[in-house]
Amino acid sequence: MIAEPNTWPGVDTSRVPFWVYTDPEVYRREQEAIFRGPFWSYVGLAAEIPKPGDFKRTSIGDASVVLVRDKAGTLRVVANRCAHRGVAFCMQQHGNTRDFTCPYHQWTYDLTGKLIGVPLRKGLKGQGGMPDDFRTDEHNLQQLRVCERHGVIFASFDAQAPPFEDYLGATMLAYFDRVFDGRELRLLGYMRQRIDSNWKLMFENIKDPYHASLLHVFLVTFGLFRADQPSEVRMDESGRHAVLVSRRGEQKPSTDTGEMRSFLPDFKLQDTRLLAPVKEFAGDATVVMQTLWPNLIVQQQSNTLATRQIVTCGPGAFELHWTFFGYADDSDERTQLRLRQANLMGPAGFVSVDDSEMMQISQSGVAGAPSANAVLELGGRDREDTPHMITETAIRGFYQYYRRVMGL
Amino acid sequence: MEERWRIRLEVEELYAEYAACLDGDRLEHWPELFTDECVYKVMPRENFERGFPLALIYCESRGMLRDRAAALRKTSVYAPRSIRHMITGIQLVESAPETVRCEANFAVFETPRGGSTQILSVGRSFDRLERENGTLRFRERICVFDTEMVPGSLVFPL
Repeated sequence: MIAEPNTWPGVDTSRVPFWVYTDPEVYRREQEAIFRGPFWSYVGLAAEIPKPGDFKRTSIGDASVVLVRDKAGTLRVVANRCAHRGVAFCMQQHGNTRDFTCPYHQWTYDLTGKLIGVPLRKGLKGQGGMPDDFRTDEHNLQQLRVCERHGVIFASFDAQAPPFEDYLGATMLAYFDRVFDGRELRLLGYMRQRIDSNWKLMFENIKDPYHASLLHVFLVTFGLFRADQPSEVRMDESGRHAVLVSRRGEQKPSTDTGEMRSFLPDFKLQDTRLLAPVKEFAGDATVVMQTLWPNLIVQQQSNTLATRQIVTCGPGAFELHWTFFGYADDSDERTQLRLRQANLMGPAGFVSVDDSEMMQISQSGVAGAPSANAVLELGGRDREDTPHMITETAIRGFYQYYRRVMGL
Repeated sequence: MEERWRIRLEVEELYAEYAACLDGDRLEHWPELFTDECVYKVMPRENFERGFPLALIYCESRGMLRDRAAALRKTSVYAPRSIRHMITGIQLVESAPETVRCEANFAVFETPRGGSTQILSVGRSFDRLERENGTLRFRERICVFDTEMVPGSLVFPL
C-alpha cells in the first residue's frame, strides 16, 4: 500500500496516522505482536461453562479457539485447529462433550487437547497406516495459557505473559474487582454485531470521553454521562489499559450545558423505569467503562453489566461479542433492572447505535486518506490521569503502548 | 364467512399494517399497533433457545415503545437508511375472537440511501394478539432472529 516503511508522524501520539486502520501489513503485525503476544486476551466467563465437558468456541484475533472445562474441572483453551490438516474441528458455538473429534478424519482429542485417537493408524490388513515412528504425543492441539480471576477467563498464546495481577497493575485491578468481586456471576445472554471499522476504533471510542458528552444525546439529556459531572480518566502505568469513571447527574441545564447542543431539556420518557437505577457498588461512581488490552471492554453503566469482546476480521472490520451478566444472588427485580437497562447498549442500544454508526463512518473517512493523521490534542499531547473528561489522554496512552509493541 | 378465516384475514391485515408502518417511516404510529399493556422483545435465537432472558430491544409497555420511537427521532445518530419487512408463513396457533396466538417468519432488508441492499435480519416472531376497541393489537411480540451477527446496527424495530 505504501512504498516506504510506515513512519509515525511526530514524536508523540497527538497524531495517529490513518494507515494504522487500513494497512494489511500493519494488521498482520498486530496479529503476531498483539493477539499472539505476551498479553491476556479475554475468552469468556466461567459461568458460561460451569460443568466438566462444557465448552465454548471463541476467537483471539483471527485465531479460532475453544474454551473448555476438562474432566477435572480445570479451564483449558485450545486452538480450534486439528493437528492433522488444520480443520477448525469445533463447529458448535457451545455444548458439552467427552472429547473433541475432528469430523474430517476423526482424529480425537481429550479435553486437555491431547491426541488420543487416530483412525487406521496401524493400517488395514497390513496395508497403509502411519509410519512406525509416528507419535501421537507430537500432535496434540495447541494449548494456550489460561488464567481466571473472579469468574473471568483470559488466555495467551505466549508463555511470557506476566501474572494477570501484574498485567493489570494495582489501579486497573481495583476497578476490575469492583465489578468482578468474586461473587458467582449469572449469565443473562448474548448480543453480537459486525462493525465495518478497524478494531482499534472500538477501543478509542471507549477511551474517548470527549464524544460521550456530545454524540450521545440520550446519555447527556438524562444525565447518565455528561462533561460537567465529576469524572476521571485513569490508566495503568503503561497506558494500555484505562477506565472512564463518571457520576450520574440529573436532567437539568447547568452553566455548561450551553456548550452541549445535545442536551434536550424537554425530552421526557413516558415510562421512566428505564432511568431508575439502583446503587449497588461502593463509592459514588455510577459508570465505569474499562478497556483492557488487547480485546476487552468491561461495561458498568448504572446496573447494566457486560463484557464486550473485540474479535478482529481484517483491517476494515471487527465483531463485537457482548455478554451480559448479573450476580447469582440477584433478586428477580434486580435482574429485570439489568435487562431493562440493556436497552441502552448493544446493536440496538439507545447509546451504542451512535457509536457503531460513528465507527463505520470513521473507517469510510480514513480509508480514503492513509497518509493523513488524526489530531488528538484535547487535554494536551502527553498522557496523564485526569480528574475530568475533557481529554483524549487515554487514546494517546493506548497509542504510546501500541507504538512500543508494534515497533512503530 | 367461517370465523377462523375472518380472524386470519384480520391477523394478516395487522401484520401488513405493521410492516407498512415501519417501512414507511411512520415510527410514531408503531406503538399504537400494540395494546397499552404489552411486551415487545427482539432477541437472538441463541438467547431464546437457551433460556437467556436478554433482548436487544425490550419494551415492557406502550410507553416504552413510544420512548424508543421518540429516542430514534430525537437522540440517536445514524446514517440515513430504509428498511423493508417481508412477513410470510403466518400460522395461527390458537385463535379465538378476542385473543390470538400466532407466529410468522420475517425477513428485513436494509438499504443505505443510495446504496445496495443487505439482509439485516431474518427470523420468526411469536406473537399474542388481543382485541382492543374492536381491533386486534399486539399484546406480546417476540422477534427471534437467526441473524445472530447483526450487520452493523439494528436501528429500527423488527
